[in-house]
Amino acid sequence: MRRVLWCFGLVAACALAQPAGSGVLAIRGARIHTVSGPVLASGNVVLRNGLIEAVGANVAIPPEAFVIDGAGLQVYPGLIDSLSTWGLPAAPGRPTGAPNPAPTPVTPAVLEQRIQTLDDGGPEERPSNTSWVRAADLLDPKLPTLAAARNAGYTTAIGFPGTNVFAGQGSAYNVAGSRARQMVIEDGVGQMITLPVRGFGGGFPGSLIGIISYVRQIYADAEHYKAVQALYEKDPRGLPRPPYDRALDGVIASRRLLLPAGRLAEIDRMLRFGQELKQPLVLYGGTEAFRGAALLAAAKVPMLINLRWPEAERDADPFVKESLRVLETRDLAPTGPAELAKAGVKFAFYSGGVERPADLRKAIKKAVDAGLSKEDALKALTLYPAQIFGIDNRLGSLEAGKIANLTVIDGDLFDDRAKLKFTIIDGVKYEPTPEATPESNR
Amino acid sequence: MNRLITLAVLAAASLAHAENFALRGVTIHPVSAVEIPNAVLVVTGDRITDFGPKAAIPKGHKVVEAKGLHVYPGMIDSASVLGLSEIGSVRETQDIAELGDFNPQLRTMIAVNPGSEHIPVSRANGITSSVVVPSGGFIGGQASIMHLDGWTWEEMAVSPSAAMQMRLPSQEATVTGRALGTGRRPYAEVKRRYEEQMQQVRLFFEAARAYQARKANPVLGFKPDLRLEAMIPVLEGKTPLMIVAPKERAIRDALAFAEREKVKVILAGVREVDPFLEELGRKKIPVILPDLYQVPLEEDASIDEPLDIPAKLAKAGIPFAFGSYNIERPRNLPFQAGNAVGNGLSHDAAIRALTLGAAEIWGVADRLGSIDKGKFADFILTDGDPLEPKTQIRQMWILGKPVSLENRHTKLYEQYKKRL
Amino acid sequence: MNRRLFLSTLASASLLRAVGETILIKNAKILTVTKGRVDGSLLIRDGKIAEIGASVMAPAGAVTIDAAGGFLMPGIVDCHAHVGADAINEGTISVSSMVRIEDVLAPDDIQIYRGLAAGVTTSNVLHGSANTIGGQCSVVKMRWGKPATQMVFSGAKPGIKFALGENVKRSGSNTNFGATLRYPATRMGVEDVVREAFNDARAYQRQRDEYQTRAGKGERVAPPRRDFKLEPLVEVLEGKRLVHAHCYRSDEILMLLRAAEEFGFKIRTLQHGLEAYKVAKEIAKHGAGVSTFADSWSYKIEAYDAIPYNAALCMKAGVLTSLNTDAPVTQQRHLLQDAAKTQRYGQLTDDEALSLVTINPAKQLMIEDRVGSLEVGKDADIVLTDKHPLSLYTKVQKVFIDGEVYFDREQDVRERSLRAARRKALAEKLKPAAPPAQKKGAR
Repeated sequence: MRRVLWCFGLVAACALAQPAGSGVLAIRGARIHTVSGPVLASGNVVLRNGLIEAVGANVAIPPEAFVIDGAGLQVYPGLIDSLSTWGLPAAPGRPTGAPNPAPTPVTPAVLEQRIQTLDDGGPEERPSNTSWVRAADLLDPKLPTLAAARNAGYTTAIGFPGTNVFAGQGSAYNVAGSRARQMVIEDGVGQMITLPVRGFGGGFPGSLIGIISYVRQIYADAEHYKAVQALYEKDPRGLPRPPYDRALDGVIASRRLLLPAGRLAEIDRMLRFGQELKQPLVLYGGTEAFRGAALLAAAKVPMLINLRWPEAERDADPFVKESLRVLETRDLAPTGPAELAKAGVKFAFYSGGVERPADLRKAIKKAVDAGLSKEDALKALTLYPAQIFGIDNRLGSLEAGKIANLTVIDGDLFDDRAKLKFTIIDGVKYEPTPEATPESNR
Repeated sequence: MNRLITLAVLAAASLAHAENFALRGVTIHPVSAVEIPNAVLVVTGDRITDFGPKAAIPKGHKVVEAKGLHVYPGMIDSASVLGLSEIGSVRETQDIAELGDFNPQLRTMIAVNPGSEHIPVSRANGITSSVVVPSGGFIGGQASIMHLDGWTWEEMAVSPSAAMQMRLPSQEATVTGRALGTGRRPYAEVKRRYEEQMQQVRLFFEAARAYQARKANPVLGFKPDLRLEAMIPVLEGKTPLMIVAPKERAIRDALAFAEREKVKVILAGVREVDPFLEELGRKKIPVILPDLYQVPLEEDASIDEPLDIPAKLAKAGIPFAFGSYNIERPRNLPFQAGNAVGNGLSHDAAIRALTLGAAEIWGVADRLGSIDKGKFADFILTDGDPLEPKTQIRQMWILGKPVSLENRHTKLYEQYKKRL
Repeated sequence: MNRRLFLSTLASASLLRAVGETILIKNAKILTVTKGRVDGSLLIRDGKIAEIGASVMAPAGAVTIDAAGGFLMPGIVDCHAHVGADAINEGTISVSSMVRIEDVLAPDDIQIYRGLAAGVTTSNVLHGSANTIGGQCSVVKMRWGKPATQMVFSGAKPGIKFALGENVKRSGSNTNFGATLRYPATRMGVEDVVREAFNDARAYQRQRDEYQTRAGKGERVAPPRRDFKLEPLVEVLEGKRLVHAHCYRSDEILMLLRAAEEFGFKIRTLQHGLEAYKVAKEIAKHGAGVSTFADSWSYKIEAYDAIPYNAALCMKAGVLTSLNTDAPVTQQRHLLQDAAKTQRYGQLTDDEALSLVTINPAKQLMIEDRVGSLEVGKDADIVLTDKHPLSLYTKVQKVFIDGEVYFDREQDVRERSLRAARRKALAEKLKPAAPPAQKKGAR
């Protein structure tokens, strides 16, 4: 056993310098959660060249494979963070979609310089719009958030750049690799809208009401841009040349639109706004998803649930009595996922305001304790995010042909005490790095 | 009826100077006793000298027929900035809050602008006196009771030092800024600052006590200290501390502080009063109501808050009075009292809190607050219930002198009515 | 959609009756506002007022409510409020006509319930006053507990907020918490912003028309860009959108009337219009309404000549006049009291005073065929009070919107202790396990 592990340690080390996942790995005799199919009480998984070759109770293990004894281990599809900043340079003031978005004013100084330099818009003024920026282009494999993510059992993130209203395009990428370009699974999965409320001093749009009207105008401009371009492409003679407008190009290139919504009123509002814009829609936030499940079900719109459940203000005034509404929301927020599951709404979890990835399992367990079945919880970490972002033909379940991303636990994923054994990303095994385990972080 | 009123108005207007007179045919609401219909009210000099159904009118007293009208004592605004502020947004017109944390030596009286447009506007609805209160730092200065008539502040002053205004350090972690909205400071930081500031407050009182002792046995070269000197009546229990304390913790702090320092206390602006009703009633600690034109304190508060506070205080036997706080509000004081009646306060208690109750709290009930022999002739003549907007205030007397109800608003009204 | 989903914690499901229920309210003093007082009964059928009379027969199956000698009056209409919206200020620009209150309606705002509890059934929810041309407003019914889409007063003509004077100018001064300087900084500039905006709107209108003509002829021509800033202004020019203009001083009121006349449109209401009484003749001639405060004054220089006789004088000049709250600046729960104050300041009759908060604002919003008075055929937006509504001793007992009970005082009072207990229990349950060291220091 020790020898086998040591061998794979070597493979992992080698992988740093090589294209991902060459070679053959197998896990034998583990409990396997395929997610797309039944749970195998004891089965084998065979991985080859970074892909899953076979999964099953009795699949043969090729002689050339490095074999891991799976006795006592549970194998899951690699966990996916459905709205992430892992591996992306820190952006101060990045909205987390946290419950009751913090009322702290965002001063111009808070706005990140990196984004500002990109923010030169098109010929029309396009403030707070970096729609063309892709997370894939900002991905930095050296960032410690990636290792922390792996240590928490995650293999994939849907990362979104920036803090602008049009924050940019999300990319799906694996959280391990030596080069960013090898980590990326899909470069553009959707445009994220954020609500950087800056007040009177920061330029238009400075408020929620302004931002909504601005987004509306941008989509109208994009329609107009397409129409003018189409006319021009047909025959440019005699027509004014349409301007080059990368802010609109970025909007047009977006496959789906992510809108923030926490409270029920916001869920209702953003569902209607998404319909008005005629965009494939995903909502993120979901503090009051427990109240909005029926609305989401009727609209057939998926919801990304922030795993930072509403909590009492840290270092709050002990004499301040919180309102019934605040208390009820805090009490019931973790029941949101169960309500969504019951209503048939597709949903996925995201790290959001949870600072340490190591705390994510605890947060997920809250939803399970509040009535979410473990099966649905697992789907919300694997297959559902893959489906929501249209990458379920590659990720999200243990099926032959999919990317070899696995999360292996020394027990049940939803059991606090069960430790992460290792993750496999693009066929390469990563053991938790000791300095970043939750215990040592305390 | 109309002709009679006209008569009354004419008669009163003809009393250009304070002249001895008697009102006849009026219903008198003495406040200190039950109402007396069809009565006579006799004013001699600046005092009420007699009243009753059969009060004799001395020879030489002018008789004013006012049949069907009502006499009420003039109303007292128990927390006012009248004369200290003219236009809310113009800093140059504000004389309410001085710089510095401890300013017991400041006297509001001398900063009251007798020419303020707000004075006649407030009078028009029946206010004859106001307790003018400063509000800076922890000790803002001395509140003065002023008549709303007089050429100078000296003539207006009824009591120069009715209370020492105080606001204890705040422990509220939530701060609301006009520009930046609601923000929060970490409570630990707030708490640390609060402890530091409370220590300063205690030290100041210690210093005042030490000064009081030094002054009692002065050594050679003793130099008076104006600040500490001003504290002596407070320490002696002659002047009450008027502590502004809206929320539960502030009220608790204020009561504990008064207990510790063994001083008389009046609470002002209380909102979260429920936990203290029994204690305040038992100790008869007076309360100046908050401005009742405020939104309920929190989302979960009853839709009646704070309009329901007066009834709660009355039920608990707590002495209370109404205060305007805001320069726009004094004229609404009777309407706030009307709202209190709409929310469970008895009509008598409401009138009392505007008049005699207030005078008692401020220690001037020997001169103000009711229709009684020997009291200042401060009263109003109305055609009905002064708490109802439909009622008209017909006349006002302060110190036996008829006071014009004309003001900036009636003048503009008359002026522009002509343009229609 | 399931409406119960939207019930926030304060509204209770049992309060809401099914739409279409037939209700007879009997033994009431009915203040119709437009047609005098009727002592008797009022019948609600299909959410409308079906009958008013000294004696009305209860149809089979009708629910009967005994008003016990109380008063019925029309639901109150507040022509200027900032309730039920998550944002009301896009303060960064001088022309913010592209923003829409309807985008940010917040049906869970407690102010809706509080207004409702005071008898307010309709509010004109306006954008703030930091911009010369502000955002698009939204007329809502105070249907507490319903989703945003059901708050909207269907069929109400759209409106837009303008603002003049100090608030707009302040945005141009550098004293405003470090904001960037923004034109205008004078009343001269304010006029210019209005004229420039409508000059742009006219050009846009022409551009659109020209495209239609040329495209109609089959010419190959690119469509103009839709401009959400100018479209509402074109609607103003076409008389399809009402202008509600925040203003104080008589000079700026006159300026706006003339600027509007220059571009051929009308100002529907002068909001606040504290000095309207000085130019009441001109306002009446233009045909604008005035929606003012009862007695606010002196909080800034431009409010120094504000007088509580403003409403009475405007009415006398033939101006369609109403009282508003600017809630939460002043409160909707005092709106009836504000109306009553015109009886002290100007000696208005009961009907005149009540009209200031019912039929007149309804007319200003052009919804008087639906609300604003108790007349057969109108929406059953009705307030039941125990005493005369203009007395301060009165309490609103029940409020109906479209024949549904949305507020019931008895129930509110009953639920207070239940809610308090629930809050206490939840707070206990959710008490965070504070680190022991810190807990010690907190006392």
